[in-house]
Amino acid sequence: MLSWEYPPRIIGGLSRHVEGLSKALALMGHEVHVITLDFPGAAYEEESGSLYVHRVPVNLPAPTFHSWVLLFNHFFEKKVGQMAKEFGAPDVVHIHDWLTVSSGVAAKHMLRVPLVMTFHSTESSRSSQSQSPESAMVEGLEWWGSFEAARVIAVSSWMKTEVASLFKTPTDKVSEIPNAVDPEKFEVEVDSHAIREKWKIYNGEKLITAVGRLTAQKGFDDLIKAYANIRRSIPASKLLVVGDGYMRGELESLSNQEHVKDSTIFAGFISEADLVGVLKSSDVVVVPSRFEPFGIIALEAMAAGAPVVVSRVGGLAEIVDDSVDGLEVEPNNPVAIAEATVRVLSDGALATRLAENGRAKAKAYSWASAAKRTLETYQEAARVSKYE
Amino acid sequence: MSESSKRLLSLLMVLGAQSPEKALGSEELAAKLGVGTSEVEDELKRLVDGGYAVSIGKSGASKVYLTGTGVITASSTYS
Repeated sequence: MLSWEYPPRIIGGLSRHVEGLSKALALMGHEVHVITLDFPGAAYEEESGSLYVHRVPVNLPAPTFHSWVLLFNHFFEKKVGQMAKEFGAPDVVHIHDWLTVSSGVAAKHMLRVPLVMTFHSTESSRSSQSQSPESAMVEGLEWWGSFEAARVIAVSSWMKTEVASLFKTPTDKVSEIPNAVDPEKFEVEVDSHAIREKWKIYNGEKLITAVGRLTAQKGFDDLIKAYANIRRSIPASKLLVVGDGYMRGELESLSNQEHVKDSTIFAGFISEADLVGVLKSSDVVVVPSRFEPFGIIALEAMAAGAPVVVSRVGGLAEIVDDSVDGLEVEPNNPVAIAEATVRVLSDGALATRLAENGRAKAKAYSWASAAKRTLETYQEAARVSKYE
Repeated sequence: MSESSKRLLSLLMVLGAQSPEKALGSEELAAKLGVGTSEVEDELKRLVDGGYAVSIGKSGASKVYLTGTGVITASSTYS
């Protein structure tokens, strides 16, 4: 499996996906090798049962981000070659998004094995159909990957439609396999009192949590505007924003403008264990994204037993059944976000029902199930690949 | 984060400044960005204060490299 991110390098849902899937495949008895980028403090080589993680340093400088991506793919290719010598050729090469297309295609032809590509997102939706040269290059790589892959996986029905539409990929070549969660991760006991104290949530204040990269796509600016309204109805509350990104300064300024700075906490990146504790201690988790191919954080919040309020976009609208296991709101609408959040926070019976149904729903999204379906897709890829 | 901070953060990542051995100085970064050294030094201070980078060495000859948060933030618009 080739992926530019793998824990502790967690940029987005892709990292959690590759971790969950590779661990589940290894538990099924398969030998799984993940080739990924190095990260400060992380070991270059890790081995756990039949799961091997190889973190590759990029030992040359690049002038731009996009040339750096091609450069790290070069080092991935070299690693694939080394591994093939050491362990033998794999049965399949699996790439994730445009970032590893060039090394994945190279590995396919070099080792003469089937290629599978998972789309977690597309440049078209991520950059709002930007016409920049960089976006055109990324779209070209996406098409190339979808063309070279014997089978394509989309993480939601919305993403399957998107891939088929953008790249003219035959729909029977695309398998829809949703992201998943590890339920056991959320079955641990947590000391909610200590967690709330850590983040200065005092005296029965309601905890509203949002998690993600601080980028325009995630809609946290809408949430901060909404929170100004929420505070009028529920003054004893705090908004905890977990994650970091280029928009952090802008969002901090916005919270100041909206007069909610003192009750908004920007936590930055936190550990996985802390995230589980925060989700389990939250009164509501809001996912206000403008675009979300899947939205794994909503599923994690549901698994943690927190009621969720999500934008009615992409994969989020597929995960959440409105008013049954969460509340859906129109994207780009701070008023709607505020109304839904206040409903959850002020109606205990509703919050309990949404949380219980959400937890039950999340159990259906297991990595074991996702791994089984991915394995079937590998087998289909082997059947149709010219190299089998 | 300002556009210039974003550019600097991204530059540190693509140049591989992720460890003390690969730390880079403000003069080298300024030359690559085509801006003044003092401007880069101000931006670097902001990145260090924000937890995105670590500064090593003596004042005037210090170098910086990215923290894990810096790496993730630099990557955050592309995933």
